[in-house]
Amino acid sequence: MDELWSPLFLSLKIALAATAATALVAVPLAYFLARRRFLARGIIEVCILVPLVLPPTVLGYLILLLLARGGYIGRWLQAWGDYSIVFRFEGAVLAAAIVALPMLYLPAKAAFGNIDRELEDSARSLGANRLQVFWHINLPLARRGLLSGLILAFARALGEFGATVMVFGWQPGRLTLPIAIYAAYERGDMQAAAPAVMLLLALSLVLIVSYNHLATPRGE
Amino acid sequence: MRRSLFLAILLACGLAHSAAAATLRVAVAISLKEALTQIAQNYQVDTGDHVVLTCGASGQLATQIKNDAPVDVFISAASKQVDDLAQDHLIDPATRAIVARNTLVLVVPAGAPAAPVSFATLDAPTITKLAIGDPQSVPAGAYAIQVLTALKIADRLGGRLVYGANVRQVLTYVEMGAVSAGIVYATDALQSADKVKVVATAPPGTHQPIVYPGAVLATSKQRERAGRFLTYLGTDKSRKILAARGFIVEAPAAGTDPSTAPAK
Repeated sequence: MDELWSPLFLSLKIALAATAATALVAVPLAYFLARRRFLARGIIEVCILVPLVLPPTVLGYLILLLLARGGYIGRWLQAWGDYSIVFRFEGAVLAAAIVALPMLYLPAKAAFGNIDRELEDSARSLGANRLQVFWHINLPLARRGLLSGLILAFARALGEFGATVMVFGWQPGRLTLPIAIYAAYERGDMQAAAPAVMLLLALSLVLIVSYNHLATPRGE
Repeated sequence: MRRSLFLAILLACGLAHSAAAATLRVAVAISLKEALTQIAQNYQVDTGDHVVLTCGASGQLATQIKNDAPVDVFISAASKQVDDLAQDHLIDPATRAIVARNTLVLVVPAGAPAAPVSFATLDAPTITKLAIGDPQSVPAGAYAIQVLTALKIADRLGGRLVYGANVRQVLTYVEMGAVSAGIVYATDALQSADKVKVVATAPPGTHQPIVYPGAVLATSKQRERAGRFLTYLGTDKSRKILAARGFIVEAPAAGTDPSTAPAK
């Protein structure tokens, strides 16, 4: 049974960490990019959204190119701290976070964009500073969009395979659910993959039902 | 005009295909990739038959064959996969022959400063990650586990093992410097002599002999042609290619026609 629970816990841990990392990046970015227009906006947005259309293996390749030993950044990490992201938990989190980023960014941006600016103006006229406006006006009003974005991001991170298998690899005893399925297939033992497949199916159903529940406006 | 030319080319291709050349599908252990590619080219020149190679981990190829992949000849990097297929009556046992032999080596990235020097010291703390093939589907990984078990260090490697889906992936991990060391065939190390350094050869007796058995598939629709290709692998010409790539092949006995005496 450990063959199922250990991948489940690892996958959940990676997906949670990746969702948290994604939220830290995507929410502030969505807030600013929904409200401001500036020259670099297009470029930043393309960078955030490109994982949506790029094959995950290409992302995996790029991560390795930059961060693996001898990579453009990896060589510095190596020299300074003898650190390499390959085969590490952080590597799996990074891969999952990048693919999950657009899933949160898009609904968050739409949610922030739909907020009536007059509400912010009234709050400010009553003496609220920017952070207070964000915390008490924008965040609560965008709540629904943000939550559904978080669910989608978590689901995407949970299922991440292509980039993860390149960065995190296939380590005995340290498999994520999707990698456990791949490993079973690779060994010609499709039956061994069945519990993991069922588990991911069930998790995905729960996630998509919660998403639908959130995305459908109630009481209107 | 352009269209009729296009049609003519299509027709010519179709005719050429149906008239002369048969296409043989050969599933081959990925460690043999370069040698077999070269041999297949020669074979096409010598016989006209076209050979399509599918390279992968032997276990993966055996699974594909069990799942009805259209294959005429299978060359595995270990006996186990061919035995399995024989048990399911998927190969023609009379055609089974050993194509080549190999040795297992320990490789480290070419620029590695503190390299381990032997298999027995692989549990040293300097080895943060050790790449081997997945022991269940990759023969090189199965041989590697045999060596590590024989040297009594398999249990001490704990979370430091990384599996490759085939032996060439293990080689890639070492080339990239993603792992401290990897266990591959001597022939793989030769393929990448500028990027990896061989530091040790697996002690004899610590693993099963590394043999590459080949066999014609019982399901092949052209078993005779397939048998001819397998025999061709035992010719002097083919053995020279295998030897040049680092494989161990038995020298053909003097006076006999090597084409009728496949390496056994």
